[in-house]
Amino acid sequence: MTRSDAALKSRGGAEYGLDLETHGMLHGVLVPSPVASGVLRSIDLSAARTAPGVVVAVGPAELAALLPNGGDAERPVFPRSRVMYRNQPVAAVAARTLAEARAAARLVRVDVTNEPPLIDLEERFPEWPASLTSHDPAVVAHVVARHGDLAAAFRTADLVHSETYRTSGIEHVALEPHACLAVVRDGTWHVTTTTQTPFGVREDAAEILGIPQESLVVEGTWVGGGFGSKGAAFLEPYALLLAAAAGRPVRLAFGYRDEFQVGRSTLPAVIRLDTAVRNGTITARRVRLLLDTGASLPGRDFATGYSIGFLLGPYRIPAFEMEGYAIRTNKPPFGPHRAPFAPQCVFAIDSHTDGLARRLGVDPVEFRLRHVWREGDRTPLDQPVGPFGAAAALELAHAKVAAWRRTLPAGTGIGVGIGFWSTSTGAGGEVRLRLTATELVVEQAEHEIGSGSIVRGLVAVVERYFGLPADRVRVTSPSTATAPFDSGVFGSRTVAALGKAVEAAGEKLLETLATRARASGPVRLEFDGRRLLVVSGRTKVPVSELLQPDEREGGLVAEGRHYGRSGAIDASRVVEGTFYPYTDFTASVHVAAVSVDRETGSVKVLRYAAFQDIGTVLDAGMFRGQVEGGVAMGLGTALTEESLWAPDGRMANPGLLDYRIPTIAEIPPIEVVAVEGFLGAGPFGAKGLGEPPIIPVPAAVANAVADATGARVTELPLTPERVARALKLL
Amino acid sequence: MPFTLEQPTTVEEALRRLADPTGGPAVAIAGGTDLLLDLDEGRVSAGRVVSLRRLPWNRLQWQGDSLVVGSTLPFARLGADPAVRARLPGLVDAVDAVGSLALRHRATLGGNLGRAAPASDVVPILLALGATVRLVGIGGHRDVPVGRFVRSSRQTDLAPGELIESISIPSAPVSAYVWQRVRPANDVSQVGVAVARSDSPSGWHVALGGVLPAPTRVVEAEALLARRRPNDAEVELAAQAAAQRATFVTDKRATESYRRRLVSTLVRRAVARALRTEVGG
Repeated sequence: MTRSDAALKSRGGAEYGLDLETHGMLHGVLVPSPVASGVLRSIDLSAARTAPGVVVAVGPAELAALLPNGGDAERPVFPRSRVMYRNQPVAAVAARTLAEARAAARLVRVDVTNEPPLIDLEERFPEWPASLTSHDPAVVAHVVARHGDLAAAFRTADLVHSETYRTSGIEHVALEPHACLAVVRDGTWHVTTTTQTPFGVREDAAEILGIPQESLVVEGTWVGGGFGSKGAAFLEPYALLLAAAAGRPVRLAFGYRDEFQVGRSTLPAVIRLDTAVRNGTITARRVRLLLDTGASLPGRDFATGYSIGFLLGPYRIPAFEMEGYAIRTNKPPFGPHRAPFAPQCVFAIDSHTDGLARRLGVDPVEFRLRHVWREGDRTPLDQPVGPFGAAAALELAHAKVAAWRRTLPAGTGIGVGIGFWSTSTGAGGEVRLRLTATELVVEQAEHEIGSGSIVRGLVAVVERYFGLPADRVRVTSPSTATAPFDSGVFGSRTVAALGKAVEAAGEKLLETLATRARASGPVRLEFDGRRLLVVSGRTKVPVSELLQPDEREGGLVAEGRHYGRSGAIDASRVVEGTFYPYTDFTASVHVAAVSVDRETGSVKVLRYAAFQDIGTVLDAGMFRGQVEGGVAMGLGTALTEESLWAPDGRMANPGLLDYRIPTIAEIPPIEVVAVEGFLGAGPFGAKGLGEPPIIPVPAAVANAVADATGARVTELPLTPERVARALKLL
Repeated sequence: MPFTLEQPTTVEEALRRLADPTGGPAVAIAGGTDLLLDLDEGRVSAGRVVSLRRLPWNRLQWQGDSLVVGSTLPFARLGADPAVRARLPGLVDAVDAVGSLALRHRATLGGNLGRAAPASDVVPILLALGATVRLVGIGGHRDVPVGRFVRSSRQTDLAPGELIESISIPSAPVSAYVWQRVRPANDVSQVGVAVARSDSPSGWHVALGGVLPAPTRVVEAEALLARRRPNDAEVELAAQAAAQRATFVTDKRATESYRRRLVSTLVRRAVARALRTEVGG
């Protein structure tokens, strides 16, 4: 099946954020903080204001005059006193040309004290958790949950396996940087932007600016890759502020360097794991997470309480304790990156579990099969596990390992990694169907971000539900002014949630058609090559004959909504902080075959296989592409990608020369296998696929390296130098 | 930063434009794959950029036993030449190591030398091969050995107003360049090792890249490779000598101790690779 956006994008016809342009438009540039930590004494905009081409320059002092109550007090557009990270925007200018705006931004004099920043977690908390209390001002969140008799389990264990893992910050590297165009006119705030969540941007930007949501309209463009980077307001409040100040349209766009330096992504973490074993079975597990959450605000950390659940693995654990600290550092705020922090957690816990099995002399896949959740099990926080394909996928992986052992050269390392994910419900989603004489239009809020979930996923649901050919289905994405609400393209939820809303709307649509056609039973739609027909038994009526006069243009409308539930966790197991429920579990089991250069530490991935629990495959090509893309991206996390932060808070590798995403030369042949039948909550039993395929990649690669060499690398990424250290070459 | 591009068609015009004091400082550009990044990020500031791409330097020719490479010849053409592959395999190793194929269609030998990056993949093999750089200025030509031309990180012997015209490289059928990187393709080498065996004067040359401010020959290692076909023990001694050569740099790409380890490994691999055409010989 060819995607409906393929021709447009191949010809260069799709408009992205950077393509936005309008008459009389100004160019905005943000003024970066020169230090990572300090107190703002003053910002002098006078030289910038009189620079050539400049129309407006705004800083913290101008907020009061431009925004109701000066905007949000907790999250002001510009910091009022304390600068939290290097390059944090402290002011902004708009000028006729980009060159003039850039030149003027350099003329802004930012007077700020220069205090030593907190950059390295372990330098500050070397002996954590002993040295750390939740009262430390750097701790923005502290979460603790426990269950069962942990002390007894560790006391009576045959073996206690204890390790520390470290993970690095990684970037999104979407092909398209952030960009938006803002217009403020007659009390209406309007922004066109590249976003994964138009309604999310509306809510977020309105809150930051202190304006009512209803007065802000967010319009989307095609999105050149999101991976979580475009899931909240980012440039939009600055652009809107400049447009309000200038009284003219303002475009604001990032360059790649900005994406690296100011982008909000995954930051480093330290993970401590202790597992107790008795008679070859895990009896208890203690996991502790020290997570760098950058300049995030207290009460707004989501990552720690959500991600820490992945550290116990998809395993039956009778007794556990999990404790997580979110640490505020002088880096940009932590932001979601495809399956936020799950690949890192799974790298740690699945390396740990693999090593434990080897220590016990048990086949690592068999050891996982002994403990992995099956339908009917309960999660550590006592949520029920529904249909879950983990054991089935592990069996397939087991067979793949055996086959590769026979065919691949001696010395090849073969490793398995298992990740799980929870298809998010988000805050819910709605669609509006419009049936005309010749097509069915799906109106909804989201824009295609590249994965195909909008242009292909929703179309595939309509095809299956109505039995219509894909070319009779059109998905549109109106602005927030008229689109039905949806909470965003994130959490692998898009097709799962909006697809259910399509089904709900479809049911209403068919009911209306049945009534109008005076059918005695259920009706269905059919396309005869020219027009759409309503079929009831042997009777076929053209849709055109069932439309009322006022429906001739806009079509017969039916609305559907899906507000899924995540269920509840057992609050009695939560000691402190906020934990989040999971729902609709998917399993991803990957097998990697690697060769390791024993003299340099270089790892080459030779072969790769992915077994994906998916419920139902809605489109085979999209399924394959999504898994291959996840594996390729995950190989970067596994082997080469890491953000480097200098002690002064400067990012040391803000570009593609030293921030190394994989090239096609590093991507091995990837076998993709769907594990179907463990039905999820999505349409036709489908489960979300946006994030799961990236999750187990670092674990699978690390376990393959351990298999090849006997050496365990406990830090991501597995660069040649880290592998060389594990091999004791230096 | 914005600049104006000037595109002279003769060498005389190029030299005149470079020396012209009106219109602000000028910088010469060949392929631009390195310089443009520095111009964009403000590490090099020049209001005028003088392109060498229309000068008659985009060619290669053999003069006796030496290959003369025009300074604006793209790497891809060098790597595709059968005679170069046969007579200078180490040069081809190095050229093929640069960036990606797309980049090699743009990047040039002259540009690589002129930019004098510490981790250049090309300078080490030019050192090992004993190449000579031909410079041209208003006062005429001068020839400088590569070892004297590249002085330190981003520092060359190029005088203001001078240009690199060509590079003369004596052929060495026994030569090789090997490297180590975090990512195999499109990355900067953490360490590069070039070796070449010469017949006149006879002996091995060994040069390191990526470990010191400038690519450097290691005479201590060369002295231990006295024979045309050194045995494993001799190669190992030379490899150790190279690794003990100096204090190597620690930077964001690698630590000193890792680089030291790589130098000994790569010296062994480079010698073995250089001798690959002489198996049993």
